[in-house]
Amino acid sequence: MSAKTRPLSRRTFLRGTGVALGLPLLDAMLPARAGAEPGGAAAPVRAAYLYFPNGAWMDAWVPKQTGADYELPFSLAPLASVKDAVTVLSGLDKPNSRSGDGHYAKTANFLTGLPVRKTTGQDLNAGGVSVDQVAAAHVGHLTPLPSLELATDPVINGLDRAVNYTRMYGSHISWRRSDLPLPRLIDPRAAFERMFGPRDEQGRPLPRPAQTADRSLLDAALDDAHDLRRRLGRGDQQKLEEYLDAVRGVERRLGPTTASAANGWRPPTRPERLVPPPALIRPDVLFTSRDNGGDGAPAAGGQAIDPPELVRLMLDLIVLAFWTDTTRNVTFLFANDVSPRNFSFLDGVRENHHSSSHHANQQAKIDAYKTITRWHVGQFAYLLGRLRDVREGERTLLDNALVMCGSSLSDGNRHDPNNLPILLGGRGGGRIRAGRHVASPRNTPLCNLYVSMLECMGVPAERFGDSTGPIRDLTA
Amino acid sequence: MRWVPPTVLAGMVLAWAAPPRHTAARQPEAPPPSPAATGHDFAADVRPLLKTYCFSCHSTAKRKGGLDLEQIDTPAEALKHGELWEQVGERMQAKEMPPPASPQPTEAERRRLAAWARHATESQVNPDTLTPEQLRQALAAPPRSRRLNRVEYNNTLRDLFGGLDLRAGDLLPTEGAGGEGFDTAGATLFTTPVLLEKYLEAAELVVGKLFPAGGAPRPTGPEAERLETARRAVLVAAPGPDTPPRAAGRRVVEAFLPRAFRRPVTSREVDRYLGLFDDAGRRGAPYEQAIGFALKGVLVSPSFLFLVETPAERPGLYRLGHYEVASHLSYFLWASMPDGPLLALAAQGRLHDDEVLRAEVRRMTRDPRARGLTDGFAAQWLGTRPLGTTVRPDTKSFPEFDDELAAAMREETALLFDAIVREDRSVMEVIDADYTFVNERLAALYKIDGVTGPRMRRVALTDPTRGGVLGHAGILAVTSFPHRTSPVLRGRWVLEELLGAEVPPPPPDVPVLNERQKGVDNPLTLRQLLEKHRSKAECAACHARMDPLGFGLENFDALGRWRTEQGGRPVDSTGVLPTGERFSGPVELKKLLAEKRRPEYLRNLSRKALGYALGREIDRAGMAVVRDCVRALEQDGFRSSRLLETIVLSYPFSHRNQKS
Repeated sequence: MSAKTRPLSRRTFLRGTGVALGLPLLDAMLPARAGAEPGGAAAPVRAAYLYFPNGAWMDAWVPKQTGADYELPFSLAPLASVKDAVTVLSGLDKPNSRSGDGHYAKTANFLTGLPVRKTTGQDLNAGGVSVDQVAAAHVGHLTPLPSLELATDPVINGLDRAVNYTRMYGSHISWRRSDLPLPRLIDPRAAFERMFGPRDEQGRPLPRPAQTADRSLLDAALDDAHDLRRRLGRGDQQKLEEYLDAVRGVERRLGPTTASAANGWRPPTRPERLVPPPALIRPDVLFTSRDNGGDGAPAAGGQAIDPPELVRLMLDLIVLAFWTDTTRNVTFLFANDVSPRNFSFLDGVRENHHSSSHHANQQAKIDAYKTITRWHVGQFAYLLGRLRDVREGERTLLDNALVMCGSSLSDGNRHDPNNLPILLGGRGGGRIRAGRHVASPRNTPLCNLYVSMLECMGVPAERFGDSTGPIRDLTA
Repeated sequence: MRWVPPTVLAGMVLAWAAPPRHTAARQPEAPPPSPAATGHDFAADVRPLLKTYCFSCHSTAKRKGGLDLEQIDTPAEALKHGELWEQVGERMQAKEMPPPASPQPTEAERRRLAAWARHATESQVNPDTLTPEQLRQALAAPPRSRRLNRVEYNNTLRDLFGGLDLRAGDLLPTEGAGGEGFDTAGATLFTTPVLLEKYLEAAELVVGKLFPAGGAPRPTGPEAERLETARRAVLVAAPGPDTPPRAAGRRVVEAFLPRAFRRPVTSREVDRYLGLFDDAGRRGAPYEQAIGFALKGVLVSPSFLFLVETPAERPGLYRLGHYEVASHLSYFLWASMPDGPLLALAAQGRLHDDEVLRAEVRRMTRDPRARGLTDGFAAQWLGTRPLGTTVRPDTKSFPEFDDELAAAMREETALLFDAIVREDRSVMEVIDADYTFVNERLAALYKIDGVTGPRMRRVALTDPTRGGVLGHAGILAVTSFPHRTSPVLRGRWVLEELLGAEVPPPPPDVPVLNERQKGVDNPLTLRQLLEKHRSKAECAACHARMDPLGFGLENFDALGRWRTEQGGRPVDSTGVLPTGERFSGPVELKKLLAEKRRPEYLRNLSRKALGYALGREIDRAGMAVVRDCVRALEQDGFRSSRLLETIVLSYPFSHRNQKS
């Protein structure tokens, strides 16, 4: 596999964080602060949900054997190095996606499990709150960010007229309310700064406007909002409420950081330096204003980043988010649904992702399809490896993590929402009996996995979505 | 009685009194329906035909394509499905249904079904049964406020600060689309903590550039001049011997705030932001930075970020206030804030006057800011935005492709649309034009000589294949696979995006295109493969519509370059549509689209533009305005101003319906 990458930028970023590949990791870790007492409290369980589009060729995915002694099929081969920390879950369905179109009605509810409303935009609805946001509502106050939403593609614009759904359903898996999708950051620099604030190349914090000042700005904005409330119709009150929620969300971050105290957990080590990753330019703005008096230059500088590189940067950011306990809930879209991403950087692949998934049972396309899937599994394995490299008290970040990775379809050629390709990495603080292939009985909802994950995180949830209970035989 | 635009009412009456023009034109020799079968009696005229020709697939049991015609068993039930019959009528008319391999209705039967489809469609919103009041009720939506989208936010900041284009809005997360597929739909614009953080960051970026902190480096050269212009536009007063800082600050806020809020402001509002000026002063900020702080507060306030429509005090239909009309107009035509002259007209209460509105449309479409209509509307309608990000030709197969070329490709299409708007040219030039816009990179791709440098400029075309969006590299690339062209994708694009037809997705589990058979000595050409594919009845219905249109563009490769050979064989760019129309190559294809498919194209363009303007989906009542637009275009050489003016003067543009 020959990936076309721009290694320099990322390596700089990684070196800064003290976890460049090949460096002895522990040397690069510093004690978080004098007097920290690792192990004083149980490390928290953190969850990440990784979504890849267009399904998988299941013959190359589902292991033939169940239990601990199973062979990795072609698309799962990259798991070899982390096999003991992975659970392969087969037999999970998303019954509420059996109707509706082939993609949007399957992806928007990847993490809600409930029916997606067919709409061109009015009354957008993914059925319910997504599992990451249910957890965020419960544990989000304990960390600087309740949750973090990451992706690599801009939101898909427009309608799919063939099926009469807005395409934005295919770009969102995290729903704060059933009718409120959360925006995703696609620029690694922006995601980094959201977590750690702006920093220079050495990782030193850059001066930013005084936060007390921001508070008085927000007070003025709130005043305006209260005046505005009287001038808005009933139908618009919810839009204003969204605005007020947003202000409260920002205000929370301006307050004194009591998170560690409230939680009783302090990360025992921290990255040596928090060097910001490269910023992404959006190539689609290059010309927009040039003929209009502007100079056409994008505002923030930045560089083009190839998709594989961008994916790695985002996965590295997830490691940092967990390591620094900045958030315990992360979602990541490798790409939007129906992604036509070109995978010709993989040997032998001359198809874009979506067209390979419509393989029509032709061997050449199936080969491309399962190879593209394998690449995604490789990225997942990379993330697990990185998490395992960081110790956290008696365990590793991976031991304390739950990293779910999967797609909203099984065979993309049939847009099949049954027997989904789902992996779970990590041991959830020791509760998950990892290293096995767990085949669930027929008609087990995917949401049962979410119930199990919420349980591991200490979030009381007997039911979630269309669950019928936790996954049998998953936890110790 | 409240005001009703005469064009709308006249349009509705005309539209339903006579069959649509293109329908009539297609069947010139159609005899008048016999009294026995008007096509209006569902039970007697229609259902037997459906049973004979359609139920074999579209039964309750089979539901092919999700369509169950069998369940519709009474005339009352049948009349509830106006839009369905419209589609059924169109598919029948185009001879796509029943599939060619199935038993075909006779011409008389086809006509009877078409008559029914028309009858049922018209029964949906029938001016004979709707009172004028009901009609207006159907056209006017409830008042809706929404936040600015990214394009609007960028443009608004630019115009608020004297043309200083810092593109701070590029920091905001990208947005999806709703309604007719545009990011002007309030329903799909959300506000979240991440967004507010970005608003703060963007405001800091702008204010920090305008009023840099003491030690910050000051730019020089043209950038310094632009900043100085912007600063002067804001700083209408400065402290002096007779002017204490706070008095100067008040004057600055009093001048800035109504522009930012796009309406007159109260003294309470002025005091609110002056309070921020005071706060900053107390922290020791010098005058300009204290102003900057107050401005930052304005830029994150909902009155700036939201386009507000205030509901009426009493339920019922009402006309938007003058300032609301001003914003509605400027965000439609410019994707930006109203300028001084427009706000002055609002202040004088003259924006309920059609003549004034017509004059403003003329003035505003000639203004460079009308580029906002291109960036907001055309880029989304024609789908060029993803080129370079989510859609990229394979750089191994096409080493010429890079971000700069992608930008030039998008810009070519943008500049064509911009010229059509700003020079009031025919909207038919979208389909065919004798000029285009290139820079050196794009000219090289097109083999046009004598163009150097990165600047895009207009060139006259001597080659008739290139003009119009179907010869634009950006459109041709965005409708290709990374490694090769796709007649299917291109054909679908022409049908769906340009002509507004609905093409259902392929049924599940249909074996598609067997294109890469290794080891076969004489592989089939793409055309042969697609033709083989079309021999399957379930595929043929749609592919017979799409593929030929795409074949007509096969002389353009996946990057949009002209080619006469492919894989050692001459390119065959002939196509035959299900209606029997034949063409060869892009010139004949464009002629066919511009002449035979003109009604569909004009209707689609008008529907899309109206949907963009209103930020919602166009329902059946709204189609009355669409018909007005089409008629206005047809009556005056298809000039773009006729479309824009008709939309601006339409009832739903300026009226709202306050529900109790």
